[in-house]
Amino acid sequence: MRGSFFGLNIALSGLYTAQRNLNVVNHNISNANTPGFSRQYTLQNATTPIPLYDGTGMVGTGSEVVGVKRMRDQYLDYKYWSENKTYGEWLAKKELLAEMEATFNEPSDSGFSVIFEDFYNALQELSKNPADESVRALVRQQGITMAKYFNSLASHYEKLQADLNQRIQIKVDEINSLASQIQQLNRQIYISELDGNTANDLRDRRTLLVDELSKIVDIQTNEIVVGKLPNGEDATRFSITVGGHTLVDHFTVNKMVVKQRDANSRLNEEDIPNLYDIYWEDGNSVIIKGGELRGYLDIRDGNDGKAGVDGFSMSPSYKGIPYYIRKLNEFVRVFAKAFNEGQIVNRDGTVTKILGHADGYRPDSGAGDTTPAGIRFFTMIGNDGNPMSSADFLNLGGSDIYENITAKHFSVSFDILNDINAICTSSAPGEVENKDVLDSLLKMRHNTHMFSEGEPEDFMKSLVTTLGIDSQQAIRYTKNQKTIVEQVDSSRMSVSGVLLDEEVTNLVKFQHAYNAAARMITTMAEIYDTLINRMGV
Amino acid sequence: MRITNNMLINNMIGYINSNLGRMEKYQYQYASGKKIQVPSDNPVVAARALKLRTDVAEVEQYKRNVEDATSWLELTEDALAAIGDILQRARELAVDAANGGVKTPEDVRKTKEEIEQLKHQLVHIGNSTYSGRYIFSGYKTDKKLLNDDGTFAIDVDTGREVINFEISIGDNINVNVLGGDLFNNGGDATAGNTGKLIEDFNKYIAALDAGDFDAVSSIINDLDDDLDTVLRIRADVGARVNRLKLTKNRLESDDLNFNKLMSLNEDVDLAEIAIKIKSEENVYRASLAVGARIIMPSLVDFLR
Repeated sequence: MRGSFFGLNIALSGLYTAQRNLNVVNHNISNANTPGFSRQYTLQNATTPIPLYDGTGMVGTGSEVVGVKRMRDQYLDYKYWSENKTYGEWLAKKELLAEMEATFNEPSDSGFSVIFEDFYNALQELSKNPADESVRALVRQQGITMAKYFNSLASHYEKLQADLNQRIQIKVDEINSLASQIQQLNRQIYISELDGNTANDLRDRRTLLVDELSKIVDIQTNEIVVGKLPNGEDATRFSITVGGHTLVDHFTVNKMVVKQRDANSRLNEEDIPNLYDIYWEDGNSVIIKGGELRGYLDIRDGNDGKAGVDGFSMSPSYKGIPYYIRKLNEFVRVFAKAFNEGQIVNRDGTVTKILGHADGYRPDSGAGDTTPAGIRFFTMIGNDGNPMSSADFLNLGGSDIYENITAKHFSVSFDILNDINAICTSSAPGEVENKDVLDSLLKMRHNTHMFSEGEPEDFMKSLVTTLGIDSQQAIRYTKNQKTIVEQVDSSRMSVSGVLLDEEVTNLVKFQHAYNAAARMITTMAEIYDTLINRMGV
Repeated sequence: MRITNNMLINNMIGYINSNLGRMEKYQYQYASGKKIQVPSDNPVVAARALKLRTDVAEVEQYKRNVEDATSWLELTEDALAAIGDILQRARELAVDAANGGVKTPEDVRKTKEEIEQLKHQLVHIGNSTYSGRYIFSGYKTDKKLLNDDGTFAIDVDTGREVINFEISIGDNINVNVLGGDLFNNGGDATAGNTGKLIEDFNKYIAALDAGDFDAVSSIINDLDDDLDTVLRIRADVGARVNRLKLTKNRLESDDLNFNKLMSLNEDVDLAEIAIKIKSEENVYRASLAVGARIIMPSLVDFLR
């Protein structure tokens, strides 16, 4: 075809194409640092050529941009999401375990080992001078310090559990908020893509939200083809499920809710009341297998897989707050029982009886007193907030009164707080220097049958070490998992990230194309000038 | 692999962060002198640290116990020496009297007076105290052993009322000498009765009163028996003090060993850490310098 002005049109399409390309480069450069942004590229075609029916071939008609796509590798996104949940879980555990470790404050000059040491050193001093009131006061004071150490440890753990409960609620809110935002983006993306476009920037934003969500909880994502759009492209629906239940399905969102447990339906005996459980709005409980939320739940509820109070539910098999409270309770119960009653429960369940504090006679007892004073050195803080006396404590009843004691309520008994001569060291009345009872109490320190872990100090050491090892494991896993997540993210960035050199090169490339196309127009204009103004005049 | 600008930046931040993390750790180690801050830094070191601290503290407590036991026994030794001197003097007087050295009633009266004084002194020593506690009274250290007339004020069961101090795990030392053993020739003390030692003095005084010098000479044998008892007990106490000295030496070397082990276990080698910090610092500077060179330029700097 020999249309006279045809060349101008080709040049014009070149100008347009270059301009469109420059805009995409411009957009890429502007978003070089936008989180989650994938670099975009144009799909550029030669426009449909016009056939010449004289056997000389087809004549080109210029160029056009038929689409703008984003560089994205979907596989890497899925990979990122599945690794990110594990990272989130261990990161949460790492932080919480570090806090729990700090609570024990070992090794230091103020941790359990020092406090226990001081208590026993005071007893040693007393053994050299059982009647001395100043040494008795020291023993009482060190006993109080030890009891208070357990009180504060248990209170701190309970507080941590309460804080964690709040955090779980906040995370559930975050999930709901992210789910709503994703649902809205689903709608926008679907509408934008109805006419066959790709909603690049909206998809980037959605991926970024899913990235965030994948750290909080384990998710499965799906983009299901549900049919064909009028223009022939696939119509897709994006859905996210958590533990097999739909969180977001295309335009609908199922939210999670937290419900307080009843005061009398605790999971673990050691739990504080009214902890949250997570449910779907339809009432089913949410199954959480990974992510920060799993980390929080493991630490909040983890009791080493022990069966719950109700007998059929199981606590997470991780050593979390309830586990450590349970162990602290076990320590104060066993230790108080041995110290007070002289009863060492062997591994086979039999009881070895040695002299305990309750078998002792007061230093001011007369030769006529034929029964021991029966004073329990350690009791517990009663419901009125005051330490109980031995008599009140014994009245508590139950198959084993020592089961009533918890680390939080462990205390030196009222009798001893009230009267330092209530510390009983003698196995016979009226003998101030008789310290058979005290010797028995001193020997308990190295009684390897008291706990299955061995001596009292071994028990606590093993507890601290267990926590240390778990914490170390969490630190290592977090570190490894972080490397993996960063590796995947790096791969994503390698594919999708903006490389400024590349963009600037393209900038120069398209600028040249633009200049050349403009030059084409000038040339054409000159041709027409020649044709119109100078020919045949 | 395509390397993008943000990858470079992220990686650089990551490298510098881990670099700073190591510097922070070394800085803590340098400042505190300890290898670990929390058990998770190294659970094995932490467990050993706890065990060794307990060992050290326990050894120190045992050292204090040994010192207290030693001073109690030294006081007892002094009392026993004084009793020995009294018996010697009483024996000299008895020998003198039996060999006709005491003739005039005035001499007899003087001798008797001295013997009475010696008996009084014995009662006084029998009621010796160690920081307010009667050392020969068995478990009843709040009560006097002897009445002023020399009879026992309390019952003391020689077989049972033994005061032990713990000087090592499961190792006790008996610190007291029982009143019955000393004053009743190895027997028990029974309230109201008179022990052999005092009884001998009573007999001595009675013999002098009666002017019966044969009886006085038979007292010499009794006094020899008593001296034997005191010597036996002194030898025993001396052996105990000796054992305490040995124990003290052992505890001191234990203390030293445990402290050394503790230091080996948890203390850092400052020179080593200083070198590590220096090397980390160099790495840090280098990575900053390299980062600055890598991140700054782009093609834009070279166009036009």
